[in-house]
Amino acid sequence: MPLTPVLLVEDDPTDFRLIQRAFNKLSNGFQMFRLTNGDEAVEYLAGDGPYENRGAYPMPAILLLDLKLPRRSGFEVLEWLRRQVSGLNRLPVIILTSSRHSTDINRAYDLGANSYLVKPDTGAQLEELAAQFRTYWLRMNEFPSLRPEIAR
Amino acid sequence: MPKPPAVVPPVATLSGIKSSDVFSRLVDTVSDYAIFVLDPRGNISSWNPGAQKLKGYSAAEIIGKHFSVFYTAADLAKDKPGYELAAASKVGRFEDEGWRVRKDGSRFWANVVITRLLDDEGGLIGFGKITRDLSERRLSETRYRLLIDGITDYAIFSLDATGHVTSWNSGAQRIKGYTPDEIIGKHFSAFYPDEDRKAGFPETVLHTAEKEGHFEGEGWRVRKDGSKFWANVVVTALRDEEGTLTGFSKITRDLTDRKLLLDELKRHAAELELRVRERDQSNAELEAFAYSVSHDLRAPLRAISGFADALREECAQQLDQSGLDYVKEISDASRRMNNLVQDLIEYGRVGRISAPLASVNLLNAINEATRQLGEVPAGSLKVDVRADLFVCAHPQMLTQVIYNLLSNALKFHKKDSVPQVCASAEEHDGVVRLNVRDNGIGIAPEHQERIWNVFERLHDRETYAGTGIGLAIVKRAADRMEGSSGVISQPGDGSTFWIELPRGPAK
Repeated sequence: MPLTPVLLVEDDPTDFRLIQRAFNKLSNGFQMFRLTNGDEAVEYLAGDGPYENRGAYPMPAILLLDLKLPRRSGFEVLEWLRRQVSGLNRLPVIILTSSRHSTDINRAYDLGANSYLVKPDTGAQLEELAAQFRTYWLRMNEFPSLRPEIAR
Repeated sequence: MPKPPAVVPPVATLSGIKSSDVFSRLVDTVSDYAIFVLDPRGNISSWNPGAQKLKGYSAAEIIGKHFSVFYTAADLAKDKPGYELAAASKVGRFEDEGWRVRKDGSRFWANVVITRLLDDEGGLIGFGKITRDLSERRLSETRYRLLIDGITDYAIFSLDATGHVTSWNSGAQRIKGYTPDEIIGKHFSAFYPDEDRKAGFPETVLHTAEKEGHFEGEGWRVRKDGSKFWANVVVTALRDEEGTLTGFSKITRDLTDRKLLLDELKRHAAELELRVRERDQSNAELEAFAYSVSHDLRAPLRAISGFADALREECAQQLDQSGLDYVKEISDASRRMNNLVQDLIEYGRVGRISAPLASVNLLNAINEATRQLGEVPAGSLKVDVRADLFVCAHPQMLTQVIYNLLSNALKFHKKDSVPQVCASAEEHDGVVRLNVRDNGIGIAPEHQERIWNVFERLHDRETYAGTGIGLAIVKRAADRMEGSSGVISQPGDGSTFWIELPRGPAK
């Protein structure tokens, strides 16, 4: 069975390392790709430049997106994504951020986020989050097609 | 004295008495008016009881005397009696008001009407004279005039129908600077600034007063010396009995001080508005600051805590007991710091929330807060609040406040005893009071003020954990929701923390 590709956009290397550690504790079944800014995220999803090579950079089944990112914020990435008409707009997006601000939460859902998670404060909580994420989003959830197919 | 006959024609039918006799009898009964006849030269030829009462002379004393005896020396010097007779014989009638002299030398203010009497051929046969004592009226008019003259805070003056000044009180002189001699006869438009005069404003004022009976306004007026003052002006149209416009009365007040004060107030208000805008802006900056604190400050905290966990899990074998203790200290410290940052953010947020208050069901808010509390020792929390109580509040803020009060009450229990916390509510005069009573350690009176301050702690961290911000949030939130908060407590005797909020309409 091919590994499910997960795209993580996270600029903080420490946070990335902690997230990576938590996810690595799980038995695999997915493959994580990491980007560090919003522009890269858009290029990756659009298949621009090196990302044209979908063998090396497969289209993700799900996007884990931080909000506060260099160059282009998570909001802008989300906005761009939901504006696409190729089917890419259906990509499930899960916000993973440290902001608990209601303005951020509301804006993210307004722009079409599928879920909003706040980075936990301890390693144990982060491991719990990773396990729940895998169970729900990677095992229970049905993924949409990202091609221009008409819903029937 | 004969009964006064009714004066109804035909008089000839009255007991056959000649009409001229009837009139002379009528005149004889009048005691409020002096009615008498002068011959063409001014000598008195008849005298009625009214004349005797008014002037003091009996008929015998005065008949045949010249009527000039009734005049003051000053009037005699001007030959006023001669002038009056000449005027009456020329035009038929002369009316005058002025001082007259009684027999005893005292004066009275008289209204005098002299009427020319002609025979059938038009020859002058004498004068009829009717005199009324107007002293009373004169007195009240004098008092009135003195009263108006004495008023210095108001300019009170009159204008004729075309706007020329006809009287001038001392207040008018004080406020506008003109003496009566300088201004009487002049047009009142002199009081207006050039631009108003050019715009025809004085005419508009008179026109409005004439049409509506009244004009009131405020504006700049000009003194004699050219300086300006802020005036409140009332102009009233004056009309005689027939309704013909005879002139205007004008009352002007100098409100320059008040105007300047008001202008200053307006300036202050504008300045305040500016400050508020500046504060709003600095609030926005503060908001940005709080945002970056919540976002950036917590990232290294997550790292400290996360890697401390990793160290314990992955490198436990390489660490001895004290090494493991140190790792635990790091974890605990980062957790405390995280709580502090979170509470501070909450404290800042409570101060900034400006969402409108809504009617919130109190019991629902308590249930939400207890849900957030999670596990509490069995039987330690009792809620005794009616389901139909509503308060005006911000829903999340209220839940936060109740959460803080309940967790405090559960936390500060006596050593080795189970906490007993009871939340109850009462309503009085449109205010709902929520009491959170505990059986804990209580608070000494001298500390009951301090506990509401940020970072205020009464205990070391090892005895009772906490950031020292919880009650500060309660107080701030209660204030923001237009309510209040407080505590009743005795050391060792438990505490009752309370908040009061306006009652909300049931939904």
